[in-house]
Formats: sequence, C-alpha cells, structure tokens
Amino acid sequence: MDNAIETTDLVKRYGARRALDGLTLAVPRYAVLGLIGPNGAGKTTWMMSVAGFLQPASGTINLLGHGPFDPDAHCGRITILPQDSELPLESRPLELLTHYGRLQGLPKQEAARSAAAMLAEVHLGDRLNSPIRSLSHGMRKRVMIAQCFIGYPEVVLLDEPLSGLDPREVAHMRAFLTRRRGRQTLVISSHNLHDIEVMCDHVAFIENGRTVLVSTLEEVIGTASTLVYQLTSEPADFDAAAQAVPEATLTFDAAAATLVCRYDPRLTTPEEINSRLLPALLSQCGVTTVTRGASLETEYLKSL
Amino acid sequence: MWRVACYEWFDALRSRRALVVLLLYMAAAVCNMYWSINLLHKLENELATVLQLPKSEQTGVISTTLWKSKPFQRIMKEMTQNDLVLQDITGKHPVELIYAWFAFFYTPLLVVLVSGSRIAEDLGSGAVRYVIFRTSRVSWTLGKFVGQAFMIFFALILSGIGAYAVAKCRLAGSGTPDLFMNIIQWSVRAWIFSFPYLGLAMGLSHLTKSASKATIMGIVAITVCFVVTILLRHFTADAGWRAYLPYLGVLVPEEHKMYLWRNSLAPLVTGTVYLMTLGCCYLLAGYACFRKRDV
Repeated sequence: MDNAIETTDLVKRYGARRALDGLTLAVPRYAVLGLIGPNGAGKTTWMMSVAGFLQPASGTINLLGHGPFDPDAHCGRITILPQDSELPLESRPLELLTHYGRLQGLPKQEAARSAAAMLAEVHLGDRLNSPIRSLSHGMRKRVMIAQCFIGYPEVVLLDEPLSGLDPREVAHMRAFLTRRRGRQTLVISSHNLHDIEVMCDHVAFIENGRTVLVSTLEEVIGTASTLVYQLTSEPADFDAAAQAVPEATLTFDAAAATLVCRYDPRLTTPEEINSRLLPALLSQCGVTTVTRGASLETEYLKSL
Repeated sequence: MWRVACYEWFDALRSRRALVVLLLYMAAAVCNMYWSINLLHKLENELATVLQLPKSEQTGVISTTLWKSKPFQRIMKEMTQNDLVLQDITGKHPVELIYAWFAFFYTPLLVVLVSGSRIAEDLGSGAVRYVIFRTSRVSWTLGKFVGQAFMIFFALILSGIGAYAVAKCRLAGSGTPDLFMNIIQWSVRAWIFSFPYLGLAMGLSHLTKSASKATIMGIVAITVCFVVTILLRHFTADAGWRAYLPYLGVLVPEEHKMYLWRNSLAPLVTGTVYLMTLGCCYLLAGYACFRKRDV
C-alpha cells in the first residue's frame, strides 16, 4: 500500500523550543490514522506543516506523491479542520461552503449541491442561510467539519474534530467518520482515545515532537493476540487457569479486576483459547465481559 | 483570484464596519457639498456687492465671471501649483471641483478605514486557513485587493451620486446629465488615486494579525505620505539629505495626483499606470513578507 502522506525528519522551531524534533510519519493511503499525544507533543504543528500553513525548518514532506503542499498540485485533494480558526462571521454556511467548493475547482452547481449535502449530513440543513455569527459554538464546529468534505478530497486532516460537540453529535460524527474508512485518507488528532479506537485503523503516538509508535490499531491493542476478561473478583486458583492455556501468558490486574491473556495467533485461535480458559475462570469467579484486544488507553499509557 | 475577489466584495458589503464607514463617507460627501454650495453662495453675493452686480438668489450664476477674474485665477494657481492643471480645470463647474477636492482628499482615509484591516482580520481569526489550501496565497492576496478595490469604487460612486443629488436640489440649473457624468468621472479618477493607498494599507495588513494594529499602521502610513508631500513642496533639493528628497517623491501617491486632474488622455493614462503600479508594488511588498510566513 502506498502512502498518502510521508514526512521525514520534520523539524519546526518556535524560538528555542522544538515543536517537531525530527518527526517521521507515513500515513498509508485510505487509512484512518489517529494521532495521539499529550498537549504540546506536536500533533497540530505536524498537521499545519503538512497543510502548508507552517514552514518547517528542515525535513521533507511528501503529500500524495507530489512533494510538500502546493496549491497547484494539491488544491481540492487535501482539506483540513484547523484548530482555533474562526470562519468568516458574516458569511452564511451554504454560500461559504459553495465558495470553498468553487475555489477547489468544482463547478457552481456541484459545489452548491456538495455544500448542501454536507451541511445536511452535519444536521445543519435548517441553518443553511443563517449568519455564522448567529450559530452556537457546536454548530460552527459542524460547519468547519462539513467544509472538510466538500468535493470528496483524498486526504482530510482533522484536528480535534469532536471537541465541543454535544454527545448526540459526537456519536453521529464518529459514525460519519468511521464510514470514510477505506474511501478517504483521514488523520484525526484527539485526546479521546475511545473515539480514536472506534474511528481509526492506524494510530501514531507522538511525544516531544517525535513519533514513538506507528502501527495498525489491531497490532497496538492486540486484537489478534490478546483476550481481556473482566472478572468480578480475583481467581481463587490462578495457576489452574494458567494450566488451562499453557501456550498463553496470563496477567491479572487486581486494581481493575481484569485478566489479560496473550497468545501467539500463529499457533492458536482466540476461540480455542477462550473455549478452555473461560470454563476454568467461571469455576473460580464471575466473568462479566470477554473482549478481543486491550484498550487503546491501556496500551498508550503503557507506552509512556 | 476572481472568485476570491467577488466573494471578498460580497462579504465586505455585509461587514458592519465597512458599511458604517461607507455611509459616513457618503454622508460626508453630501454634507461637504451642501456646506460648500452655501459658502459659494455667500462668496458670490459678496463678489456681486464688490463688483456692483445684481445679487442672485441662485448659487453658481456668476461662477463664470469668477473664473475670469485674475485674482481668483492666481488663487487657483497657488492651490494647484501647476499651470497645465489650472488650464484644464478652468471653466469647470464649481460643483465638480468641490466634489473632486473632497474625493481626492478623503479617499486615502476611506481606504485605510474600510480595507486596511481586512487581511489582518483573516490572519488573526484564522479564517485564512480555510482558504489557502484551496487556492494559492498570491491569489488570496490579489483577490482581497481586487475585492476591496470594488468596494472603494462602490463607495466613491455612491458618494458621487449623493453629492450630485445635493447639487441638483441646491444649485439652480446644475441637474444636467453632463454634470452627473462629470462627477462620476471624478469618482473614477479618485478611485484610480486610491490604488496606491489600497496597496499600501493592504500590504501593511499582511504584517500583523491584529485588525486595530493594521488600521493604525495604515493611518500612520498615509500621515507619513502627507508629511513627505509637504516636505517635498517646501524644501528644494540641494546638498545634504535634502538632495534625496525628490527620490522619495517617486513613492508618494500625492506626487502623481495631478496627472488625474488633467483633461488630455496622455497624462491620464500615465497617471493611471503609475498609480496602479505603485499600488501593486506596495501590495506585493507586504505579500513578500506573507508568502512564506506561518499562518
């Protein structure tokens, strides 16, 4: 699979501080990649550099195989939801998004149709002609998300797309973004790891302007090699449970009352493991849930 | 660029601040015309008394006589400081000249107040970030410039119509289509004169993210232009630093204003090309700082 975005040894300085300190990251085409990292890790700076808003001090950017951002080569193929950026307050959502579509090179009719469809998608079909000034913070955020998808761009960079939305809209947007998997390349920066886990198929951990880990979500949380049992209490005989699955490694977290079972997926299957381990556990304690893979939060905190 | 320009104009027309300044400018043009006609009427009556002519109830009746008087011509020569310009404006209707003076004198201020902060506003609010991945930075800058030029044109035409309406009501026999066309022509000339100021104000607007700072920078810039113009008129080039003053004149729009007061085509075209080029140079100087800047 070729990459939609490749950045190599990217360095961006703000005075003496290095916001990006040799960040190398490749985003496969049609992947939905979650960018995870603490505040000030360099997520926003990386996105802004890729979109051409910031000029890196050194390093290379290759966007859709055409080098760094160039309006001639990338116009209409990449869009971004920037952080802390207001839309023009006197504009109306429909006319503004139509204007953006026209700038991307869409014919007038198509731009208007695409704008109306996207605004309906973000539940603003009844506010098409209201001045942006009169919209609430959450509504403005939805207009900002909608502008990213005008004209079906190949790459969409979303910086904290779900922050500031009400729970109903968060769920709706999460579903909307999840549906883009395999159709568009999305990079989503968020502090909400549950959202990332639901929406993304790739993740990158960023720390101090560097990439700590880049992999598929499946590999990071171990969907194929880990089973997590939520127990009601500590198993009375841990060794007996371990003997039921000798090819696996069991770890019990007393604080969370979870038993993590890691195995080699080349040697066995999760069904096989579960068929032996679950009865062994049920004979000793209650089991409330069994899930494949650990949580992203657990893996992220472990990586720090 | 044209799409950015059209949207910019459309958006600027809705901007409360621009609309207030535009209306104030139009009101100022109307009031200026009203007061000037009153003053002209008083002057004419006093002149009639001195020349022992019958006083008239209507303003503008003895303007032709006034133009023929040598002392008045000397006053005008002092004001224009240019024989050719004086020759060209001699005999023009006073209403035209009153409006032309107003338009040329206040256009720089109108430009700074309406357009001076537009780019800085977008840079400060981050609105520019929704556009510059859809079009090039140069298209955005030029589009903004052209959009604001439309806006200034609109303001000047409106003020011209307002001034004409006052003249038609207050001045007997002045409601002719010719006068209307001449006033509109002066609006267009003032618009051409606005280009270097527009370029200067919008060029400076690239340097800051604060709308108020951009406006202040614009006001300071036009003040500097006026000060330099005064210096150029009152100091002759000789040895020392004064020898360099004439070179400054190249950069000051006021020094090229009189081309636009001429009747013949050659100076008009020269002035138009020069002032437009100067405006583009100022704008592009600001753009040069913005071209690679982080936004």
